[in-house]
Amino acid sequence: MPGHLTSRKTVKWGFLIPALGYLALMAILPLVWTLTLSLMKWNANIMPKPVWVGLNNYKYFLFEDPRFWHDLGFTVMYVSLSVSAELVIGLALAWMLSQRFKGKNFFRVVYLIPMACPPIAVAFLWRMMLHPDIGVLNSMLKLIGLNGVKWTTDARIAPFTLIMVDVWEWTPFMFLALLAAFQSLPIELYQAAAVDGANAWQMFVSLTLPLITPVIVTISLIRAIDAFKLFELVFGITGAGPGGATESLSYYTYLIGMKWFKLGRGSAISWLFVIVLLILAMILISRFKKQRT
Amino acid sequence: MITSHGLERRKPLGVMIILIILILFTIWTLFPIIWAIITSFKEPGDSYKATFIPFKQFKPTVYAWHDAFVTTRDRTLRSLRNSIIIATFSSAASLMLGAFAGYSLARYQFKKWKNKDIALWILSQRMFPPVAVLIPYFLIMQKLHLLDNVLAVMLDFFADLPKDIEEAALIDGCGHFMAFFRIALPIAAPGLVAVYVLSFIFSWNEFLFVVVFGYQNAMTLPVMIAGSLSTRGLDFWKVASLSILAIIPPVILATILSRYLVRGLTMGAIKE
Repeated sequence: MPGHLTSRKTVKWGFLIPALGYLALMAILPLVWTLTLSLMKWNANIMPKPVWVGLNNYKYFLFEDPRFWHDLGFTVMYVSLSVSAELVIGLALAWMLSQRFKGKNFFRVVYLIPMACPPIAVAFLWRMMLHPDIGVLNSMLKLIGLNGVKWTTDARIAPFTLIMVDVWEWTPFMFLALLAAFQSLPIELYQAAAVDGANAWQMFVSLTLPLITPVIVTISLIRAIDAFKLFELVFGITGAGPGGATESLSYYTYLIGMKWFKLGRGSAISWLFVIVLLILAMILISRFKKQRT
Repeated sequence: MITSHGLERRKPLGVMIILIILILFTIWTLFPIIWAIITSFKEPGDSYKATFIPFKQFKPTVYAWHDAFVTTRDRTLRSLRNSIIIATFSSAASLMLGAFAGYSLARYQFKKWKNKDIALWILSQRMFPPVAVLIPYFLIMQKLHLLDNVLAVMLDFFADLPKDIEEAALIDGCGHFMAFFRIALPIAAPGLVAVYVLSFIFSWNEFLFVVVFGYQNAMTLPVMIAGSLSTRGLDFWKVASLSILAIIPPVILATILSRYLVRGLTMGAIKE
């Protein structure tokens, strides 16, 4: 297709429309359909046709279902704790490694392994290591004379076990992104500060931190949006247990729609989920907008 | 020597401490992978013990690998084949759509809508929770009798498209291209390869859509891992070997692509 045979306009729109059309078909249309279904009662196992119920499904989740609020609360706690921990550890590591250091590339390759792995493989490998009786972690703890930890069987510990695995999987992401940010900092500023007699800590607090704050906010938002969709770790490690203590919003949505086939309720909770994420996404997008002008 | 965080020449003690912390973090990062490799070469009985050194502490065996590639050969090869087919073709299709759209957005002005707004709109789809579209997808596939069909699972994966469009739009120098096929494509080739590989990794790792829509015939490796949870409990040796099998391709690809990985995961916000 040589350029001069096709008009500008054809190329311009012809190239864009397939992608836009595809997204409309696979994202917008399903979401509109979900919105309609969310106003119906339709337990597909026993009811051949949906029945109109108005806003009942939303009323159910918002006012009558403690499980929804518990799962939302757990997800929010999971997201805030994992993202903060990953940020702090990632920042410390990146600061150490932004020094001239031999073997930097070695660390760079090692640290991308966890985030390249299929999340469900991560989940099952950890499930195996975290087994309370025969898992390798508790075996090693017992070897040095400590008691085993009830990683997945104690409702007070299990949420933190999932956070620990998330930290294992995604700290490298924070680290690599921050390392890239550190390396783009202007060295002249530091030379000037050194002449003024600033020490390393002062430089970090008064120069480095303010300069990389925009990057910190952006990558934390990206991580938070992804962490909010938490599904594989719950599915693979705890199965939402013990007693629903580690049930995430994604997992509950999946159960309602795809296990119990309550398609109306499932659609309503899907939309509540979309709204929560939309708030986070809008903040991120407005940042992207500023960044690219 | 003044470095980017302003430390004068490091004292040897400081370097030692940093090195020790880095080594500890590296051990923590690699431990699950190394443990999986060790476990995959153990007898089922040994796989539940905390032994590390082959020959000395346990007798190494290919039991788990023999099971995967001989005993349950058909299942493993079908999952492997499905994983490869789905990742290869869904990434190719989304790359094609993405490259066209990216070129259009980079090369032409959209006055009424503004290019940036179109790009951000496309990008925003990446943030939607996939679990929210399961019900309509399910209803469509049930109608079309596409459940548990490789093609259907592949279609779902196109939902991963937005990242690629954004990436393609970001390839440096897009605005200077004169003709798409003759000039733009060859120049953008390295970026496009990176986008393709990233997209391949994301499709390869996908779990939710496959476990819902492709339980048997359209099963992929990640779903097969979940299958090692039997009624008797978790077969450690099986989890280990299947996980290693599923981990190798994306990790090798990510290593080759290490320069682009962070950029891809941050939707282009961070360049390395």
